[in-house]
Amino acid sequence: MHPRDTLQAPSPIRERRSLFRWQPDQQWEAYLFLLPSFLGLLVFVVLAVVLSLGISFQDWGLAGPKGWVGLANYRAVWRDPVFWQTFRNTAFYIVTIVPAQLALGLAMAVALNQAGRGTVVYRLIYFMPVVTTIVAGAIVFRLLFSTNGPVNSLIADVAALFGATVKLPNWLGSSTYSKWAVVMLTLWKNTGFTMVVYLAALQAVPQELYDAASSDGANAWQRFRHVTVPMISATTFFLFVLQTIGAFQLFTEPFVLTNGGPANSSMSVVQYIYQNAFRFTRMDKASAIAWFLFLFIFAFTLVQNRLQRRWVYYETE
Amino acid sequence: MPNRTFVLATSWLVIVVLAISACAPPLTPVPAQPPAAEQPAPAPAAQPVTITWAFWGSPEEAASHKLVADAFMALHPEIKIETWNQPWSEYFTKIQALWASGDSKTIPDVAFLWPTPKYAAEGVLENLDPYIQKSGYNLNDYWPGLLESAMYQGSVYGLPRDIEVNVLYYNKDLFDAAGVEYPNPNWTWDDLLAAAEKLTVKDASGNVTRYALAAEGGKYAKWVNQNGGAILDDYRNPSKCMLAEPASIQAIQFFADMMAKGYAMRDADLAQAGGDAAVFQSGQAAMILQNTSRVSAFNAAGMNYDVSVVPIPKGGKRWNPAGGAAWVMSSGSDNKEAAWTFLQWLQSADGGQKIYTQRGEIFPALQSVANSPVFKTDQPPANKQAIIDEAAASGVGAFGYFPEWDELDSSIIGPALQRIWAGEAQAADILPQVCEQVNQFLKDHGYPK
Repeated sequence: MHPRDTLQAPSPIRERRSLFRWQPDQQWEAYLFLLPSFLGLLVFVVLAVVLSLGISFQDWGLAGPKGWVGLANYRAVWRDPVFWQTFRNTAFYIVTIVPAQLALGLAMAVALNQAGRGTVVYRLIYFMPVVTTIVAGAIVFRLLFSTNGPVNSLIADVAALFGATVKLPNWLGSSTYSKWAVVMLTLWKNTGFTMVVYLAALQAVPQELYDAASSDGANAWQRFRHVTVPMISATTFFLFVLQTIGAFQLFTEPFVLTNGGPANSSMSVVQYIYQNAFRFTRMDKASAIAWFLFLFIFAFTLVQNRLQRRWVYYETE
Repeated sequence: MPNRTFVLATSWLVIVVLAISACAPPLTPVPAQPPAAEQPAPAPAAQPVTITWAFWGSPEEAASHKLVADAFMALHPEIKIETWNQPWSEYFTKIQALWASGDSKTIPDVAFLWPTPKYAAEGVLENLDPYIQKSGYNLNDYWPGLLESAMYQGSVYGLPRDIEVNVLYYNKDLFDAAGVEYPNPNWTWDDLLAAAEKLTVKDASGNVTRYALAAEGGKYAKWVNQNGGAILDDYRNPSKCMLAEPASIQAIQFFADMMAKGYAMRDADLAQAGGDAAVFQSGQAAMILQNTSRVSAFNAAGMNYDVSVVPIPKGGKRWNPAGGAAWVMSSGSDNKEAAWTFLQWLQSADGGQKIYTQRGEIFPALQSVANSPVFKTDQPPANKQAIIDEAAASGVGAFGYFPEWDELDSSIIGPALQRIWAGEAQAADILPQVCEQVNQFLKDHGYPK
C-alpha cells in the first residue's frame, strides 16, 4: 500500500460537514419537521432567557417596565442579606448532597452488581423514589420528621437502649435542623438515579481487568480502588456535574417540605428567585438573581471541566 | 436548485416567526382607552354587559360567591357576572399574569385582593375616589382603620369585604374539667398566665399533652399593640423600626415565654399539627387566638365553646388589627361603570355584605351589618358582643401599607420572629439588630418618602 493512500483516506472528522452550510443532497423538508420543537425552544427557552437578561437591567414590577436602571438590581442583590443567606444554604446543599449521593449511589450499585438473585427487585425498590411525585414524598417526610414523628421516636428508642436521654431535634421547626431534613429528602429522591447510572457503568467494566488484577495478587479492595474506580471515573464526572447543577437549582424539596423556613434557614436561591418574582412581584430583582446564579454555575462547571483532566480516565484516549 | 429550496425554507421560518410575534402580547401595557367615548353606538340594550369577577376560595366559599352573583343579577338584569375562581395558592400568580397581559378582554373587572396597596402602586387598580364621590357611597360605616388597608397615596383603591377580628376562643369543657373560670373582659395577661398554668397538661417526661393556648406566631402584633408597642413608627410612610422599643420587646417576649413554658404551642409545632382549628377541635389546646373564620367549622362540629375579648396587659389597651381582603376594580377593565355598580352593591348592607354574613363567611366590614340581626343570631358563639368590642378597637399597626411591606416582612421581620418563637433567640437580644436591618431596608427603598 502506498503511503499516499493512507494519507488520502477520508478521516471521519474531515467528512463531517458544517451544520449550517447548505448541502445540495440534504432534504430541506427535514427542517420543517424540526420546526415545531425548534419554535418551542425558541419561544419558551431562548426568548425567556433573553428577556430575563433585559428585565434584569430595568425597573420591572408587575405591570411591566418603568425604565432602565443599569446595574441597580444587581447591586440590590449584592447587598441583600437574605440572598446571601439563601446562597449559603445552597452551598450547604451542594457540599452535603452531592458527595453523599455519589457515595451512597456507588455503594448501592456495587452491592447490587454482586448480588446475583434479587437484583431486579432491589433495583426497582431503590429506583422507585425517582419516579415518585416529589410532593407526595415531601408530605410523607413532613410526617416522618414531625416533632413526635417516627424519626424522633426511633432516635429516642435508640438512645434509651444505651440508657441516654437526648434532646430530640425539631427537624422542620428549627433553623439548625431544617436543612438536614431537606438533604435527606433529596437523597431519598435522587440516589436511585445515581445508583442506576453507576450500575450500568459497573457492568461495562471488562471482566478480564479484574481477572488480570486477581492474578497479580490484588485483593478485593485493591481491585475496587485500582480497577473499578478509574474505569467508572467518566461516569462519576458526569454524575458530579449533573448533581452539582441540580443542587444549585434545588427548589421543590425545600419549597414543599419547609417552604424555606423557619427564618429562611432552608431556602434555596431558586426558591428566593421564585419568591421575588411571584410574591414580591419584583421580576427585575428575580431576573438579576437568576443571572447571578447562572454566572456562578457556569464558572463552577468550567472549573470542574478543567479539573477533570486530573482524575477522569477515558478508555478511548 | 439548492438556492431556491433554501429561500423557500427561510421564508417559511420568517412567516412562522412573524405570526408568533404578532400573537405575543405587547411588552408595555397599553394605556386604558377612555371609556366608550370613541366607540360607535352602544350595544343594543337587550345584550347585557358582562363583567368578570375574580376570587379565591374553597368550593364552599365559591358557592357563597355564586349565591351573591345570582342575587345581583336578579336585581340588575343588564349586567352579567362571570366568575373566575382559583385556589388561594395559585390565585395571585395567575391574576398577576392576567394583569401583565394588558388585555382588557381577559383582565377581571372586579377582583378579590390582598394586599391592595402593593397592586395599587403597580398601576393595575382603578382609583375608586371619583366613583365614590359621584355615587355618594358611605365610607363612614366601615370599622375604624379598615379602609386604610385598601388605600394608596390617600385614595381608596378597594372596599374591604370583611375585617379580621381576633378573639379568644375557649373550650368550655376543658375549662370546667380544670376548674378554671371562663375568661371575662377584665382579664389581664397575668390572669391569662394563671389560667394557662392550670390548663396545661404535661406527661411524666415533661412533654406537653395539652396546651392552654394555640396562637399563630403571626398574631404577635396584637400583644405588641396592646402593650403600647409598635412595628414601625408610621405604617404608610415609615422612617424607623419600633420593634426594639421596650414595650414591643416585652410583648414579644411575653408571647415567646408562653411557648417556652409549654403554655402555648410553638409556631412551627402548630403548623405541623394542622393549625389552630385542628388542635382546638381535638382538644389539644384549650384556647386559640383567631379570627371569626373558624366559627362555622366549630359549630358544624358541635363544640361546646365560646369567645371572649383578648386579655390585655395592666395599663394596656384593647387592640385589633384592621385588615381584610378587599374588592378592587382593575384599571384595565372595559366595563368600569358596571363594575362600580356591582362593587357598590357587594359592599352594601342589603347586598353582598348581608349574604356573606348570613352564610357565616365573614364578620362584616360594615358596622351597621354587624350590629343588626343578620350577625346577631342565636348560633354559637353566644358572646357576639366580644367580637363587636374587639372590632371597635381596630386600628392600623399589624402591617405596612406600602408596596414593599410584604418583602420586608417575609425577608427580615418574619424570619427573626420565627427564631424567637422556636426558642432559638431572645427578643431583647436580636430585635435591636433586626431593627437595624429594617431601617437599612427602608433607607434602600427610599423611605421616608
